[in-house]
Amino acid sequence: MELKKTPFYGIHVKLGAKMVPFSGFSMPVQYQSIMEEHEAVRRNAGIFDISHMGEFLLVGEDVFDFLQYVMINDLNLLEVSKGQYSCMCYDNGTVVDDLVYYEETPTRFRMIVNAGNVDKDFKWLNEHIGKFDVKITNLSTKRCRLAFQGPKSDELLQDLVDADLSKIERFYFSHTTLKGVPIFIARTGYTGERGFEISFENQYAKKVWDYLYNTGATPAGLGARNTLRLEACYSLYGHEISDEITPVEAGLFWLVKPKKGIDYIGKEVLLKQKQEGTDRILVGLNLLEKGVIRDNYSIFFNEEKIGFVTSGSYSPTLKKTIGLGLVSKEHSEVDTEIKIEIRNKRLKGKIVEIPFYRNV
Amino acid sequence: MDYKFPKDLKYTKTHEWVLLKENIATIGITDYAQHQLGDIVYVEVPDIGMVFERESNAGEIESVKAVGEIIMPLSGEIIEVNTDLVNEPELVNSSPFENGWIIKIKISHPDEIKDLIPVEEYIKVVESEEQ
Repeated sequence: MELKKTPFYGIHVKLGAKMVPFSGFSMPVQYQSIMEEHEAVRRNAGIFDISHMGEFLLVGEDVFDFLQYVMINDLNLLEVSKGQYSCMCYDNGTVVDDLVYYEETPTRFRMIVNAGNVDKDFKWLNEHIGKFDVKITNLSTKRCRLAFQGPKSDELLQDLVDADLSKIERFYFSHTTLKGVPIFIARTGYTGERGFEISFENQYAKKVWDYLYNTGATPAGLGARNTLRLEACYSLYGHEISDEITPVEAGLFWLVKPKKGIDYIGKEVLLKQKQEGTDRILVGLNLLEKGVIRDNYSIFFNEEKIGFVTSGSYSPTLKKTIGLGLVSKEHSEVDTEIKIEIRNKRLKGKIVEIPFYRNV
Repeated sequence: MDYKFPKDLKYTKTHEWVLLKENIATIGITDYAQHQLGDIVYVEVPDIGMVFERESNAGEIESVKAVGEIIMPLSGEIIEVNTDLVNEPELVNSSPFENGWIIKIKISHPDEIKDLIPVEEYIKVVESEEQ
């Protein structure tokens, strides 16, 4: 199968990015160095191509009720101009996808979903429309998306856009223009730093990229995107959450809302899990010996296997190996000494508090 | 991409370089290999005295994103390891052919040397992988 290309593909190649397959797209994993790109986002600002992610528009009289039915978070906490992070779950509580939707009007919502789940989500949503008056349009390939993240993102971006960014609070958004280009801009992100996510029509790809690039912000690839989100302990679909792991197990119990009088998919299982706890739970991991832990490595307490690493990496900010793991509840206390098996050797580690780092 | 290919070294198709001096071989990974791995954060080297067959796995190189193996270019006994890499694994990135060398071995089967590839041939290996 031919890999798909985002409208920024040519720019990435020209910048010397190392391109890798990711969710069916050819994406930049790094331009020069993951460490330098990571640092740039923590200290200044970085630009990420996130056009591989999906973008849907949901329009209709029943959009609100429909989303209350398919999402686990409570839309009564939402208002016009605000976005909400949520999970869409199966009846058994495991996760179809985690995503953010934005209320543009009470009958029009924009939704950003994971790259690897675009087709599955589109199908799942449409299968559950039933009697609801909702029409879903897949804008994923008509529009493109960039994230602009870092402590300097506000000041670097303000001169380019017409909206007063200081008025856009976290998780709020605006439709405005960037040097004349109509954009959707939200104060959201996946790095643990303040920052924005921007969406606009493909035809403006080069123009918007050039304006952002000329602010001095550093292009950052998927490698840095992963180390940044792991330090901030944001879940990655297929790792911390999946069709085998529920949000409660993944520590996202705060997403599971009672929504009295509203029946939503997964409600019964998830509320029970939230109340009674689960047999396994997501924890933070440090390695106490030299090495790097990676996804799916086994975690042991004494000689007993108690779980596995869901995400692991070297942390450029903390200068040590960090990870997240799903372990049995009885061994999930902070400071519990564990072992992690790396290529047939079991190295000492410890369960630690999370997040490792956040600056939002 | 412009990679360095020192002419006085021998190479393997798995991207190790070998510097031969009598019956001692110094071994590291090539500029191309370090570039493929990206920022290196940990190098796991074997203990001195360990004996390896050619093509066996003698260690691991962990970068932020990936893990690479050190495949023995020749059979032999480990006589020295680069202890600077414990605290400065990034030397493999910044100086793959000099300060970032990884192990020294005493060659046990000198007849294997003829199977190492010269620089011209190694450049072709890299070119074909680049495509």
